[in-house]
Order: sequence, then C-alpha cells, then structure tokens
Amino acid sequence: MEDKTMDHYKGIGFMCGLEIHQRLDTVSKLFCRCSTNPENDVEYAHVDRQQRAVAGELGVIDPSARFEESRQRVFRYKVYRNSSCLVDIDEEPPHEINQDALSIALSIASAFGMPVFDELQPMRKEVVDGSDPSAFQRTVLIGRGGRIAIDGVPVDITDMSLEEESSGIADTENNVITYDTSRLGIPLVEIDTGPGIPTPEFAKKAALYIGTALRLSGRVKRGIGTIRQDVNVSIKGGARVEIKGLQDLDFMDKYIENEVLRQQNLLKIVDVLKGRNASVMEIADLSQLFESTNASIIKKGMESGGAVMGFGMKGFRGVLGSELLPGRRLGTEISDYAKMAGVGGIIHSDEDLTKYGFSPSELEGIRKALGISETDSFILIAAEKARCQKAIAIARDRALQALSGVPLETRAAVNDQRYTTKFLRPLPGGSRMYPETDIKPIKINQDALASAEKSAPRLDQEISTLSKDLKDAQLANALILSGKLPLYKAVAGSTSADKRFIASVLLQKMTELRRKGYAVDSIHDEDIIAVFKRYDDGTITKQAIEEVIKALSKGSRDIDKVIAEGSLHRISGKALKDLVSSFSKSVQSSGKDDLRDKIMSKYRLVVDGEELNKAL
Amino acid sequence: MYGNKIMDYFKANGISVGDKVRISYNGTSTDGELMPSTEYNDPDVLIIKLKNGYNIGINFSKVKLEKLEGPNTPIEFPKVKLAGQKDLPRISMIYTGGTIGSRIDYKTGGVYMLTKPEELLFDVPEVSKIANIVIEPLFSIASEDMSYLEWQKMAEDTADALNKGAKGVVITHGTDTMHYTSAALSFMLQGLNAPVVLTGSQRSSDRGSSDAFMNLVCSAYAAAQSDIAEVGVCMHSTSSDDECAYMRGTKVRKMHTSRRDAFRAINGKPLAYIGKGGMIRYNSQYRKVQAENKEVHAQTKFEPKVAIVKAYPDSEPDIMDFYMGKKYRGIIIEGTGLGHAPVSTSHQEYQWLPKIKEAADSGIVIGITSQCIYGRVNSSVYRNLRLMSSAGAIYCEDMTPETAYVKLGWLLGNYDAAKARELLPANLVGEIGARSEYDDFIDEEG
Repeated sequence: MEDKTMDHYKGIGFMCGLEIHQRLDTVSKLFCRCSTNPENDVEYAHVDRQQRAVAGELGVIDPSARFEESRQRVFRYKVYRNSSCLVDIDEEPPHEINQDALSIALSIASAFGMPVFDELQPMRKEVVDGSDPSAFQRTVLIGRGGRIAIDGVPVDITDMSLEEESSGIADTENNVITYDTSRLGIPLVEIDTGPGIPTPEFAKKAALYIGTALRLSGRVKRGIGTIRQDVNVSIKGGARVEIKGLQDLDFMDKYIENEVLRQQNLLKIVDVLKGRNASVMEIADLSQLFESTNASIIKKGMESGGAVMGFGMKGFRGVLGSELLPGRRLGTEISDYAKMAGVGGIIHSDEDLTKYGFSPSELEGIRKALGISETDSFILIAAEKARCQKAIAIARDRALQALSGVPLETRAAVNDQRYTTKFLRPLPGGSRMYPETDIKPIKINQDALASAEKSAPRLDQEISTLSKDLKDAQLANALILSGKLPLYKAVAGSTSADKRFIASVLLQKMTELRRKGYAVDSIHDEDIIAVFKRYDDGTITKQAIEEVIKALSKGSRDIDKVIAEGSLHRISGKALKDLVSSFSKSVQSSGKDDLRDKIMSKYRLVVDGEELNKAL
Repeated sequence: MYGNKIMDYFKANGISVGDKVRISYNGTSTDGELMPSTEYNDPDVLIIKLKNGYNIGINFSKVKLEKLEGPNTPIEFPKVKLAGQKDLPRISMIYTGGTIGSRIDYKTGGVYMLTKPEELLFDVPEVSKIANIVIEPLFSIASEDMSYLEWQKMAEDTADALNKGAKGVVITHGTDTMHYTSAALSFMLQGLNAPVVLTGSQRSSDRGSSDAFMNLVCSAYAAAQSDIAEVGVCMHSTSSDDECAYMRGTKVRKMHTSRRDAFRAINGKPLAYIGKGGMIRYNSQYRKVQAENKEVHAQTKFEPKVAIVKAYPDSEPDIMDFYMGKKYRGIIIEGTGLGHAPVSTSHQEYQWLPKIKEAADSGIVIGITSQCIYGRVNSSVYRNLRLMSSAGAIYCEDMTPETAYVKLGWLLGNYDAAKARELLPANLVGEIGARSEYDDFIDEEG
C-alpha cells in the first residue's frame, strides 16, 4: 500500500464502505419452496398491482414513497410455473425460513469472525419501487461486529443479513412496469463493511477478497447478477453517495475516484456560486410566450395540453455547463432529476439554444418573464402540464442543492468506458423496518453454530497454506483475488502437476490468452481439469497445454479430439528413442546440444525437454 | 414474554419496554430501544431495536444492560380531517374489526385494532372524495370471534344509519366469517332499500400492497353510487388491483385462505363489478333501490341453537344425540353430493336415518345442504335421498351450508318451527335461485 495515496485520501476525508449482496446456492427460496433456478421456466400468468405509500408508526408518509405513489404506476408481476408461487405475489403468508440458507449464512458469518445473535428477528423492510409485490423485503440480521484482515489492513464487517432477492424489471412500458418474480425471494446475504476503506484501490481489493471468501464456501450462486457490489463514497464537505450496478470489479476503483472528483467539482461550484451571491428564483409558467414558436422541442412538449415552465438562476451563468465528470455537467444532473417525473429532460441556457430553433425575441422574452439578465441562467421544461409542474419543481430543488453542495444520492454506474455514474434516486432515509410477524423468531443453538464454524470458508488459512504450497505469497494472494482458487484446488487435488505451474497457467497464461482474444473464460472448469490430467498422465506435454486451451476456447468440448486433431500426443518412451535415432541419422548436427535444439524446435509441443535429455 | 429473571432486573433497575438502552457484550456495546417480547420469543432473550431498524435478540445472561433514557412519549396519530363535502352522497362506514380494521405497530410488530376512526381512511384519503363519510366505530372484533350478537348490533346500526338518511352503508369486517354476517344482515334488514356493503382485506394495511385500499374505494363507490338494494360483499374480483366484485350477501363464500380474490359468488354471479375508478358494471339481476323510501326495519331475533353437522365416511350419527340433549332447535346437515348422509349402510353404527327421523319428530328443523358447495341438493334422484326426505329433512336448494345455517337461525328466532320448515326452502331475499345457470360454477371471473 502506497502511503502517499492513503495520506491523500485521508486528507480529503475519504470515506468508503462496501455492501456486497451474494445469492446463495440453495434448492429453494428463502421463505417458500419455489425453485431458485428460473432457467427455462414457463410464465403462465401475471397480476397487476398498485402500491400505496402507507403511514408509519408516527402517521407520517415517507416522501419517496409518496412520490412513487403519485406516479400511479401499475406493477405487473409475471408468475412462473416452478419458480414463483402465491407467496411471491403476496397472496400467501411466508413459509418457514429455509434452514439450508440459514446454515450457509451462519458459516459465512463465522468466516468473517462475526458473532451471531442468539435469537434472530425476521423484519420487513419497506420497498417503494414495486420490486417486491408485498411492498417490503423480508430480512434477518444475522450478526454484527465481524472483522477480517486484507493484506494486513483490518476491515470491519459491520453487519450481515440474510434476505430475499427482489424481483427484476422485465419491461417498462408507459406506466406499466413488469417484474419477473422468478428470482424474487432467492436467499442472499448482504455483507456490509465499515466506512473505513482507505483508498479506491483497496475497495476493489476488499470486494474481491470478500467475493472470493464467499465463493470458497461452495454454497453461493455463480454467474451474472448473482453477486452485486455497491459502494458508498463521501469526502469531507460532500455527502454519502451510493454507487450501484458495478458490473466489473476491475473498474471499481475508477468509479470511486470519479465520484470523489464529482464531489470535489460540486464543492467548487458551491464556492463559485457563493462568490457570485447566486440564487434560484421561483417557477413561472411561460406557456404564453410560445404559442406560435418554431422551437421544435417546445412545440412537441406543448402538444395536447402541454405547458412550458421555467425558473431563473441568478449568477449561474456557465455553471450549468461546467463538467463534473467527462460528459456530465451540472445541467445533466438536473436533467436526470427532472426525468424522474417522466419528462424527456430540461433545456438550459448554458446550451446553444439556437439549435432548438428559439428566436432571439423568445430568448429575450424568457429572460424578461423570469426577471433575469444575460449573466444569469434559466431552465425550461416543456411537457404535459401535470408532469411539467412536477418535473420543474424537482429540477428547481436540485438547482437549489447546487448552492449547498452534494446531494445524498443513489447513483448507477454507467458502462461508458469513462467510469461515470448517473443519478438514480435520492438516497432513501433509513428504511422503515418493522417485525415480520408472519414468521416466528429463529433461535440459534450451539449445534448450529458449531457446525457453521466447521463448514466456514477460511480464507486467511487458505492464503497461508497456499503461500507455503506455492512458496510465493504474492502469487498466492493473486490467485485468491482472481477467483480461480476453487479451480486451482480442483486441479491440484486431482493431478500431481507442480502447484506453481498450475497457478501460473491459471493466472498468467490465461490472462495472456484472454488479452490475445481467446475466449478462455468460456471454457468449463472440468475441461481445464481434464487438460491438466492429460498432462499428468503423459498424454500431452507442458507446452501443449496452451494449445489445447486455445482450441477449447473456440468452443470444442472434446479434449481427446482436440489433442488428436492438433497432433498433440506426447512422444515418449520408445517412440522418443526411435525419434532421436531416426532424427540423428537424417539431420546433421554439431553435437548433442545442437541435436536437442533441432529436435525441440520441430517437436516442441510433443516432446518433453527433460525426457529428451535423458534419451540423448 | 420476558421471563422472571429479566422482569426482576427491569424492576430493580427501573427499566421498561420502550427505554433507550445500551447493551454490552463480547467487548462491544450497542445502543437501541428495548422492545417487548412476544409469546414466540425466548423468555431469556432481550429484544433490542437497533438504530438501523433491525431487531436483534441476545441472551440476557450474556449482556450488561443499562438504561440511557426513558421511553419517548407516544406520538399521537395525526388527525385526519375528512373532506366532508356537502354535495356528495352521505354514506356510513361502520367498522367492526378484522384485518382491514387493524394496524400494525411498526415498532413491536403487534397488530392492534383501530381505536380511532380516522386511521381507517388515513391511507386512502380519496375515499372522502367519493362520499361524505360518517365513520361509526362499532367494535373491534376479529371475525372468527363474532357471534349472532354482533350481527344484531350491525343490523341495528345499519338500519339506524339508513333511516337517518345515509345513501348506503359500508361495513368493514374481518374476512373469515364475513359471508355469515352478510347472510345474516340480508335476512335481518327487512325492507332494505339501499346498498349495504361488507368489505375487508386479506393483507394488512401496513404494507403498500394491501388489498384494503382498493376494497375500501370500490365499496365506497358501491354504497354511494350503486342502486343495488341488497346486502353484498365487495372484494377483489381477481388477484389484480383492477376491480372488485359486488356479490350477493347470501350467495357468497370465502373460498381461499389467503388470496385477495378469496370471495366468490356461489351458485350465482356477482351483481356488479366496481372499478377502482368508480365504474360500475352491472352483471346480473338484483333488487333495485325504489323511489319510494320506506324505513328499513332490523328484525334481528336469532336462534343460536342451530348446528351445522357434516356427514362423511365413518361419521357417527350419535352427534345428533348431543344436539337433541342440548335442546337444539335446528340442524343443517352438510351432506355429500346431492345431499346424502349414510342411510343404507350395512354398518349399523353409521346409520343416520333413525337419528334424523328421531330429531325431526322431536321438532328439530333439519335442513340438508351439500359440502360440494356448488350446485343444488335434490331430494328425489336416489332412494337414499327420498328416505331422508321422508324422515322429515328439508332440502335447501342451492343455498350454501353457511347461508342455510344463518337462515334457519333467523327463521327460528322469528317464527315457530312449522313456519321455519315452510320458509327454509323458499326464497326470501335472493338466497335461493330458481334456475341454475351454466356459468354459475367455478371460473376465473368468480
């Protein structure tokens, strides 16, 4: 760890924590006995529901829930033959907790050195976006206060809960959001670290480490979407922002660095605006100005009872167009907020407005109506009236926040090679949680804890054993973080091949081939194991392994055919001796070494150098 | 419930549920709020609500418990002002308890019945735009705990509200026995000239997905805008939140333990479908509200000494002795198929015929219904049926066992046995259909 980096991040008040969600590999769901394997399942029905914002214990309705309700959206839930039932569509009370899921969760808790509570209390966590037909997610806090060491740096595992997966959005059309209930209720563990992750680079490392520890349990689902890593980031003067949807851990550090930059830029904007004594003005209805406009964007919005609304922003000139991240300006941020209300976006005065067809007199009219001058800015929205009103109010709220700093937000990682993020929704306040009275509290007994401890994946021990085996701590660490540990263990356990050699093939050779464009990640683990077995039993040489892997990456699954077609069978024993004698007769050589080199240059892939030496 | 050891400690240290506390264990300490322990919790486990909302349970013997501060004073649920728009029709909303009339305590998870009428409409404020609503709390009773005594009060309250000018009445009710109540009110409200709508919910209203909201909205529309002069049950017609079905009070039954469309019209069709936006789609024959407005009379006398007895393989008719001994005045037999009980069996101990005859001869009114639920009983297709009929049993046409039970109790409360025998198989308020239509059987639309 580079101290300078750590000091740098310490200096800016960098806080960072991870939330890792990992689906468990159980046969059935957490609170019903539906299959957790939705592949090839058949949808046979759907139900349409609407959800309401309900008052909490204080008779107060959460604003985000009220906002969601005001959108009057219809949630459509697809029902599947094997992977959803009445429990999933909120038509039957939950069944008892899946004991298998619970025991996996307990052993993961044990792996993270986390004390487990004596009696677990199932809870309902309110969900307002429709992703759960019951409008809440069932969750159980398993334990608190775990701790691990990654590269010698202690990392707090503050909380771990066992909860239901939400349903995934299948389709969004107009006002109907369709959800797929097949994955709803699959057990998952959420693992939260403390906010003390020191650098973006370390966040990536920690995510990889925790992910590997989970996989080591052998009881977690693999494949796309089965693990999600959300990151919480803030800096001094900024605010907590949660980044979701990081598809590729490789770039986690880049996204975090960018979020730091974005917060820094927003804080700079605050300084600029303060210096200009900037302010955001009231909203005005500007529809009258545009009754015979040529600006197509306005015309479209005004169609069928639309309106144009706007507000002025004193002292904002140039600020809306200033870049927070590559390609993302303050104007983009405000626009993303307005879109929540179902409008296409905003028009702001830091853009080239002539491209929309505004006439100079219209622009002057806007400024006049809003009471602003050339050095000020404005934002306009043209849309169906009710939507327009809602959108302009949201946009104005966001503009106001520019005066004070960084809003608390949930942001989505954008897969744009530039590692930017976009606004998704306001960071929900503490989710409302209350007891799930349909499920009894779960008593944890000593037997369960003892067996959890026994089955717990021990990554620290794994690393030290591996370091000894490989005589290389760095290689051991790299192997752990690569996610190839289970494969390595399978190969090492079923062949007598040199362990360092196995590790180097799985790490360096595979990486090298991937970079060259071979689809090595598509090769099945059992086929890789088989390749090493062919090497181990003398069917092929060390050098041929790469060739076989290349061939397998092109889709073949018949190793023996690959070996035969590539003429990769090892020549050894008597055949090698025959080869040496016939070669020495037919090829001129200046001695033993030269002969060996000549044979090797022709038969490199099928002759083992050591054996050849002996034969010579 | 906390055990003695914990309660003693609480007492000695002045700690009570709701206090902010600090628990120290395993070398760490956590602050939270002390929660009550329920009958399902281990009595030796402390339940603490953490700041993040989760509840946790830790063995009392492991922790050090300190009180930080006393409980917050409970916050009053905000008052909801009903719009009370004068130009809207006035309806009464009588609440009686059940899932729809209860709220969850978000802290403890305990369910409690509403004590303040305004809470019922807090989450569905738009109901007050449908009608000018007068809320009348009657009681807070789960429907499985109700008896005819509650039906009588509901009938009286309903008649009172209507006679005072309400356009219609909505009764919020637990779902389990709602179809018994709807049948009872159908017979008790004599001269009814307005919609009387029973509604409830299958999912509690603490969740945003509760069916209570749409059921309340549709019921308010039915009471305020429909011209149905009958008692009905108004609940989700499908599992989707699209529309409710208004089903005749004597021809409806809870047919599923948990689905929101559990109530189905039996041997008939819903009278109407009520859309969540207020669209009323009339669907079959019903009694219409008459222009001439006469007072409705609550004729609530009821004879509770009526039993439902189920006939099944190996069922012993000795059960009839029990009811005869207890001076029951009526028995509804839930027979098999067309209305059978074992009467020609070679096993004497399962022979029902002599007991039926003995009971009928002693003056007990015996009604025959079918456990098939759907369809009509028949007294003559088979010899066994004819035997029961000759023994004095009365075949109750296409009434459900529950409706027949309620009807017989009401008849015996108001008439002598001979009259009750005469009226049991006769249609009084739509409980018996003269015809059985092809599509009156289980189908998706109910």
